[in-house]
Amino acid sequence: MSAIVPQLGDLGKSTRRRSKRLPWTVLVCLVIVAGVVLMTVFGAALAPQDPAAQHLTEVLAPPGSGHWLGTDELGRDVFSRLIAGARTAFVGPLVVTIGSMLIGNLLGLWSGYKGGAVDAIVMRWVDFMWALPGLLIIVVVAGAFGGGYWMAVALLLVLTIPFDTRIIRGATLEQATLPYVEAARALGLSNRRIMLLHIWPNLSATAVANAFLTFAGAIVALSGLSFLGFGVDPGSPDWGRMLSDGTNLLFENPAAALASGAMIVATAVSMNIIGDWLYESLSSRGGSK
Amino acid sequence: MRTRATASLVVSRILVYAGMLVLISFVIFSLLYITPGDAVGNLLGTRRRTPETEELLRRQYHLNEPFLTQYWIWLKDAVRFDFGNSSVSTLPVTDEINARLPNSLILAGVAYVLTMLIGIPLGLAAAAKKSTAVDRGIVASVIVGFSTPVFVGAVALLYVFGVLLGWFPVFGAGTGFVDKLWHLTLPAISLAIAGAGLIVKHTRAVMIKVLDQDYVTFARARGLTSRRVYLLYALRNGLIPVITVSVPLLASLVTGAVLVEVTFSIPGIGDLLVRSAASQDLPTLQAIALLVAALIMVANLAADLLYMAADPRIRHGRSTT
Amino acid sequence: MIAPGKSHRPAAHETTTSTVLKVRDLGVDAVGPDGTDPIVSSFDLDLAPGETVGIVGESGSGKSLTARAIMGLLPGSLVARGQVEYGGRNLLELSEREWSHVRGREIGFVLQDPFTMLNPVFRCGRIIEESLIRDGRRRPPRSERRAEVLRRLAEVGLTDPSVADRYSFQLSGGMRQRVAVAAALARDPKILIADEPTTALDVTTQKEMLTLLRGVQKARGMSLVLITHDLRVAFAMCDRIHVMYGGSLIEVAPAADLESRPLHPYAQGLLLSEPSLDRRVVELPSIPGSVPKAREVVDCCAFATRCEWVADTCRQGRPPLLEVGRLRRSACVRLPEIGAAMDAKRARIDVAEPPTSEARSERPLIEIRDLRKEFRIGKRTVTALDGVSLSVNQGESVAIVGESGSGKTTLARTLLGLERCTSGDICIDGVPAHDWSKLSAADRRRLRGTVQMVFQDPYASLNPMRSIGSTLSEAIRSHDRGVKDTAGGVADLLKTVGLPPAYAQRKPAALSGGERQRVAIARALAVDPRLLVCDEPVSALDVSVRAQIVNLFATLRRERGVGFIFITHDLSMLRQITERVCIMHRGRLVESGPVDRILDHPTDPYTVKLLQSIPRSGAAWIDAPVTTEARRTPAGGGRRTGGRDLMGEVCDGGDTHGAA
Repeated sequence: MSAIVPQLGDLGKSTRRRSKRLPWTVLVCLVIVAGVVLMTVFGAALAPQDPAAQHLTEVLAPPGSGHWLGTDELGRDVFSRLIAGARTAFVGPLVVTIGSMLIGNLLGLWSGYKGGAVDAIVMRWVDFMWALPGLLIIVVVAGAFGGGYWMAVALLLVLTIPFDTRIIRGATLEQATLPYVEAARALGLSNRRIMLLHIWPNLSATAVANAFLTFAGAIVALSGLSFLGFGVDPGSPDWGRMLSDGTNLLFENPAAALASGAMIVATAVSMNIIGDWLYESLSSRGGSK
Repeated sequence: MRTRATASLVVSRILVYAGMLVLISFVIFSLLYITPGDAVGNLLGTRRRTPETEELLRRQYHLNEPFLTQYWIWLKDAVRFDFGNSSVSTLPVTDEINARLPNSLILAGVAYVLTMLIGIPLGLAAAAKKSTAVDRGIVASVIVGFSTPVFVGAVALLYVFGVLLGWFPVFGAGTGFVDKLWHLTLPAISLAIAGAGLIVKHTRAVMIKVLDQDYVTFARARGLTSRRVYLLYALRNGLIPVITVSVPLLASLVTGAVLVEVTFSIPGIGDLLVRSAASQDLPTLQAIALLVAALIMVANLAADLLYMAADPRIRHGRSTT
Repeated sequence: MIAPGKSHRPAAHETTTSTVLKVRDLGVDAVGPDGTDPIVSSFDLDLAPGETVGIVGESGSGKSLTARAIMGLLPGSLVARGQVEYGGRNLLELSEREWSHVRGREIGFVLQDPFTMLNPVFRCGRIIEESLIRDGRRRPPRSERRAEVLRRLAEVGLTDPSVADRYSFQLSGGMRQRVAVAAALARDPKILIADEPTTALDVTTQKEMLTLLRGVQKARGMSLVLITHDLRVAFAMCDRIHVMYGGSLIEVAPAADLESRPLHPYAQGLLLSEPSLDRRVVELPSIPGSVPKAREVVDCCAFATRCEWVADTCRQGRPPLLEVGRLRRSACVRLPEIGAAMDAKRARIDVAEPPTSEARSERPLIEIRDLRKEFRIGKRTVTALDGVSLSVNQGESVAIVGESGSGKTTLARTLLGLERCTSGDICIDGVPAHDWSKLSAADRRRLRGTVQMVFQDPYASLNPMRSIGSTLSEAIRSHDRGVKDTAGGVADLLKTVGLPPAYAQRKPAALSGGERQRVAIARALAVDPRLLVCDEPVSALDVSVRAQIVNLFATLRRERGVGFIFITHDLSMLRQITERVCIMHRGRLVESGPVDRILDHPTDPYTVKLLQSIPRSGAAWIDAPVTTEARRTPAGGGRRTGGRDLMGEVCDGGDTHGAA
């Protein structure tokens, strides 16, 4: 899981003030993500051919006019499968990201602001999870219980929450000692109001940027599981599985493997870059420092 | 006074990790019972169930003893590297692991060295040339390296250097040390790429922070040469935090090793793990999980001790910022 | 190496023609993607051997960057131009390699913050030692190096050899600063540039530090450039003073002349807004507005926006620094016309005002009895409040004075319910309030509406994501939930603190420090409290802005009958803002009484020491020993001092956990 990002922010933060214009790199990334979203929503409807249809006469065709990216060992159109595979590649990470952001933010705010026993327990748990290789846990559990896509997604969610919690808790601790929070307490505002309406907006840049990094990490992790055979069911179109199936066909039709790998990398890179850019522009929203 | 305080800190760290390991081992052992199906079935795997085999397994794994006694016996055996027999091959798990361990260790070792050799210099260069084209180039490639899953990188390298150029073998671990190294070069590189991203990112951030500190300015103001300041101050202070990354780095190397071994068909521990998970071979699964957990706890401990040795503030109970 | 103590240079005060350092037309530019911005321009300086020159200015005046430019230590995005002549060379043209022969050896430099200046992973002895050894020279044997390190530590008053074996974080702020001075002097520079060397220190430590600097300077015959924002420190230490404003010099004068008759409206304004320690004035003269950015005042007099005598001539180009008397230069183009008016203003202010007995009730609003507060840090217990008893009447203004670690901030926070006391009683307006969590919701609301707090750091005390208007309207609603439309209330509050209603639309980032503090006060006033607890309300503000806020407090008291508790380390403001003073030391109230009695006839030794530590002009103050309490000896006390320092951080830094 390369979602292990100890420190956010500093990357790509070259000059203090940037022009308001959207950098072209971010624009490209947004286009890529938009494309993947479209593919996720409409799936096979966008594909030029039926992704499941086997053309046994055209097995392992190289990229060409009939099949843009050639065919696989069963003669299925790689390009169509690529489009259809976006759904599993995108939905799982989306669930992980949203779930982890919700739970991680609440837990992080709570344990950072209130401290005490909750904080101690949460932090022990986070420390514990920090050191364990998450993907391996999923493999072991899948081995013991039998896998499945949603099982993998749920496990990944549980394993991701500690990272979000840790980041939000750290940022909350920083904010909680600031006078504006103390002043809100002195005015007698409720803890919930202070946490959600005062502290959280000041963390939102971190939280939102982190969500994008979580997404990038989740797409990598989930496709890795599929690659190992623990994610989606055999035969269904999925980028990770197509990559592992395609590895054996590198001599015949390299596009079958490389195209899905490229899609994974492109989506992950885009999410990372958009996350960094959002962090930059959101954190300058409050003005100073 | 001070040595005693330090010693008690060290002992407390050791105890913490030992405690964690015991907890993990307990969970790992419990897999036998909390998984669907009964223990005998889990141990039998795909073999046929007869009263004789069942009785054999019950005796071999002490299944008639109370749960905690079973755990105790299992743990005692595990410490002596006895994990029972694979439910698939019925051979001792330890033999299988022993045969595969060298491949994985060489792979991980080479990858670790590569990660550091690529990561630290690039991180230092990016920090020293902050906000220049060099820095931006490094940062951009870090984002790409970072977002490239190990298996995608592995397949790409395999295609370019194995298939297109034919410089390296495309599968297997080779025989003999030199041949092994040659076989493991591509896998190690693909493993190092993602890890190096983490190290570059961290080294760069930390170095930029250190070079911005007052004590660095003050050192220059006292006439220390910039080379001295960079080597003595920046490296000493800056590389301390890089130690902390070594633990998540190890975790990512172990994870990555699994994917890489599968891609390059290297008979290693990771490959075995995936096979045993796919065939629900519980004894092997338990053995590997415990092995990896122990490895990671030891690495954690080592990182903590290194940190303690390098930063007096930890030894003296101050938190660092 | 030159042995310290061998004076081989003429003493100060003599106007010799020889100069060790000559700075001409020094400028600092920020080079960005959209062109260059001048930050400092046309800075001149002549430094005679053995002389002490002060560079005085507020934050943003460019004084620290000027010092860094002279040392060749500007951050990467800034570029220096002009001439810095030393030893016949222009230092600005040196290569980095050549610089390392000048820095430390010819010119030493001490930074502001002793807490960040020493590398935390090295022992103090090693830090000094590495400066002693020059590159390329043979290293003397270990024992000799050690002896030299101990000698250097002794020179700065650290006679306990174990200091050399400690890490910087095990020492108090004052001791760290001493180690830093020893390290800066290790290669025996002929000039020492000290950038705010005492700003981060407590007032008693500041006095010791200044005495030390003066002593070392005399013994070595060294020249000293002292950069400070505090005119009183400059008057106490310096022969001549350069006043900077908005990135350029506006006045250069001998210290005594500047103190008696400043020749620039800004210098005079700064001088007058420093309240007098000896007498009370009706209203502190303040400079309106706030310090502009250097790039906003490129083509006019930097002070034009705030000057009461401003005319069109002030806005036609940057006025040059012109000779206006013996050794005196001023950048005021209208000086000949307004000189008399300036003198008159000064004379008017100089009239003392008898202390007024403001109308206040004798009913106690707050009663604190035997309050204790302990913090647990790991296994140690630190006592922040050790049996404090205090009562404050309705409408009264009380100051609680102490240094860091005295427990004064903890007292305030406990009173506000931000911290829970370990034992003791607090009674606010008849409601027992030693544990706010046990109060009924109604009581708690009543107390919140009785006591409110203003914090030290105006930059962090407003939520940066909220507009001023929403911050204030939330405060109004917290008091009175029924309010539908808060716009009127917000405008009223802004008016009360002297801000235009349009500010409601702004975010805090668009406000200056003084304006933010006004908003923070308005927020506290929103619940119509009877008592405001102000924790160092002006110490983070620029000197020229402080007086505005102090005057605002006076107005609020007069017009709204609000009482005050001021938490402060600054004794100079006391007479202007309070009638009763409590002195705190190590968690206990050591002395309390009417302000005049405490300031004029202190009885507790600690109070005496505090008062003696307030900077006064002239060498007499610097050289006078601090009499009463035994000086803090490093021998054996080092570790304890370190602990005490930690306590200061804990108590004043605050700990949010536990009281929520």
